[in-house]
Amino acid sequence: MAALQRLGQSSLSTSASSYVSCKAGEMAVLDQFPAGLRVLVVDDDLTCLKILEQMLRRCLYNVTTCSQAAVALNLLRTKKGCFDVVLSDVHMPDMDGYKLLEQVGLEMDLPVIMMSADARVCAVMKGIRHGACDYLIKPIREEELKNIWQHVVRRKRNEIKELEHSGSLEDNDRHKRGSDDVEYASSVNEGTEGTLKTQRKRSNAKEDDVDLENDDPSMAKKPRVVWSVELHQQFVSAVNQLGIDKAIPKRILELMNVPGLTRENVASHLQKFRLYLKRLSGVAQQGGIVSAFCGPVDTNVKLSSIGRFDIQALAASGQIAPETLAALHAELLGRPTGNLVTAMEEPALLQASLQGPKCIPAEHGVAFGQPVVKCQPNISKHFPQSIMFVDDASPMFGAWPSNGLGTVAPGSNLVGLNPQNNNMLTDILHQQQQRQQQHQKPQQQSALSESSRSINVQPSCLVVPSRSSANFQAGNSPVDQNYSYNRSAVIDYSLLSSQSNNSSLNVGQISGGDLKTTGVLSGYSGPGSISPSASSCSVSAEHNTSQQVQNSTLTFRAARQVPGLVPNVADIQGSYRAKSGEVLDQGPLRNLGFVGKGTRIPSQLAVDEYELPMNNLNHGKIYLTFSQNRLALLGEL
Amino acid sequence: MDVVGQLQRQFIDYTASLYREGYVDDQFTQLQKLQDESSPDFVVEVITLFFDDCEKLINNMAKAMEQQVVDFKQVDSHVHQLKGSSSSVGAMRVKNTCVAFRTFCEAQNLEGCLRCLQQVNHDYSLLKNKLQTLFRLEQQILAAGGSIPMVE
Repeated sequence: MAALQRLGQSSLSTSASSYVSCKAGEMAVLDQFPAGLRVLVVDDDLTCLKILEQMLRRCLYNVTTCSQAAVALNLLRTKKGCFDVVLSDVHMPDMDGYKLLEQVGLEMDLPVIMMSADARVCAVMKGIRHGACDYLIKPIREEELKNIWQHVVRRKRNEIKELEHSGSLEDNDRHKRGSDDVEYASSVNEGTEGTLKTQRKRSNAKEDDVDLENDDPSMAKKPRVVWSVELHQQFVSAVNQLGIDKAIPKRILELMNVPGLTRENVASHLQKFRLYLKRLSGVAQQGGIVSAFCGPVDTNVKLSSIGRFDIQALAASGQIAPETLAALHAELLGRPTGNLVTAMEEPALLQASLQGPKCIPAEHGVAFGQPVVKCQPNISKHFPQSIMFVDDASPMFGAWPSNGLGTVAPGSNLVGLNPQNNNMLTDILHQQQQRQQQHQKPQQQSALSESSRSINVQPSCLVVPSRSSANFQAGNSPVDQNYSYNRSAVIDYSLLSSQSNNSSLNVGQISGGDLKTTGVLSGYSGPGSISPSASSCSVSAEHNTSQQVQNSTLTFRAARQVPGLVPNVADIQGSYRAKSGEVLDQGPLRNLGFVGKGTRIPSQLAVDEYELPMNNLNHGKIYLTFSQNRLALLGEL
Repeated sequence: MDVVGQLQRQFIDYTASLYREGYVDDQFTQLQKLQDESSPDFVVEVITLFFDDCEKLINNMAKAMEQQVVDFKQVDSHVHQLKGSSSSVGAMRVKNTCVAFRTFCEAQNLEGCLRCLQQVNHDYSLLKNKLQTLFRLEQQILAAGGSIPMVE
């Protein structure tokens, strides 16, 4: 339609001008704040888009419009630092507004305001939960738009505040964490309250006054830190090292030792991270799937039984606080194993934690070996499902708890699945399976009962491949998946035993003590490195029945080098049972839309967005231990 | 011979009737306020966009309801969209019909939905006529050298 074209053009021109005026915009912002605020509007309804554009123009804002979420995301990514705030519609055909919201929050740390004609409390609540700064009900009026600058300013202030706090007291951090209960994207208490109030008011009356004592409205723009995969992994490993409770930005910063990174950056990232963790655990409790960071597979994943591995690891002491788990997940999200591994590589640590069934995957590239170590007993009721990604090129398979956790044959390098090791691995796994089955069964039972209460978080079992080569990648799937499996090869033994009856992701479920190799070899990445996107799905299936897997951050990040490793659940299971060294067949995965491009993962979580080449599956051996269900779940993402 | 004056009076009366009869609501006023020198045809453009959207959505709804197995969710999403745009431009009748429409969708009441669809179509056509008349009046006033009066 001509109208469409016109709009498109105007959008383009707006975009162009806004790009060009990015720098200028900054100046403008400084001079006549809030004029010049750079707003990106996303709405598939052209009528609304046009109206909003006009309204925002009249507020003297710098407007860019977009009718497609995907395009908007692209814009945001390529033009980082060119926007101050995003306005997004909730219902959009190509991408759910909430998803866009989350991604923007994660990747770009921009305030996002949702809009919708849907005024129901549950919808607004959902917006809040996903981190929206605000939720406007259509029809939107100009007065409401005049105030959106407050969200930009508020966010900046909070970042600064956090910095100040974090530098000094740990307590403050705890405080903040408490406040995270209010799932607000990035606000401290006051901000949150303010927003809630604002939202309430919005639904009632128009609130024009925003009393913000703002000393410095035109905050100097700080260069945005891009939380790349590597950086994030460093971050997560640092957090894990410190312990989620003790992780304060200052210490994290020291640990990370990244030049140019400021405490401020770390602080704000930490806050988001905590929110994410909280959300994971919260969702896990609800049994929902958190499509957060990496769309961890939550409760939906049913663990029929904990894989031996899990049992060992997870049982008893193998409990990890949800947060840690989440951390693991996040960490596994695929940071260069290099970082992780080094951080993790503390055999002593691992060993120590291995006491009980703690499953600490191979020392190498144990993704979150530490987290596991830091397990706290009886974390929570849910069972985080941890996919243990063992991604260790080194032939050493992490120190899986030897307590019968399908200990990967000590020395057997499950993780480092190198093409060359494939066979070895297969064999090893096979052996272990058998061994485990006999050996672990009894343990499993007990462990099961125990674990049933605890979160068998085996995030620690996320072995992040340290070496780029031969990484296990749990499901290299296109980034788009919620499960972005990064390098962290998770050896999720439990997963192997997928139960047919489980319709959901069964991470590491061991049906009837049929512990298949509980190694989750996901995404075996052949040559090259596997960007560990550790989706730590700690599968802690307590019992044979379905269990909620919490924190199933099955993030399959398509590793760059890893060719489409697509875990073929069905096959895996079959193959596991029957033969080892079976190559994952992508078929099932394909069906699962594993390699779909539907969803997107925050760039920091998903290094590469590309479709895993299916043919790569046959590369090396991928021992994906994804239960069919799990994959199915993935497909749903 | 006060053509302009006459036209203007006509315009005012006509606009008032639109509000009175519920064709448009306050949001429409907002829309008019948004028009300024930098966007002199703003209202017309937006309304045109809206009508295009309307037709498209109504067609989609009709198609969806012609299916053997009606996907009410799909229909509902169309209605939701129409509700959003109509509320944004101030098309009150259309919007209200959409509200009722959604209830029928949720209840999966095909007959109710069909009736609503008809109603929506009717509302839309009526509104289109009315607004086109209004725009014509505006053009006439401008052509006669007058200015468009603001209607409160």
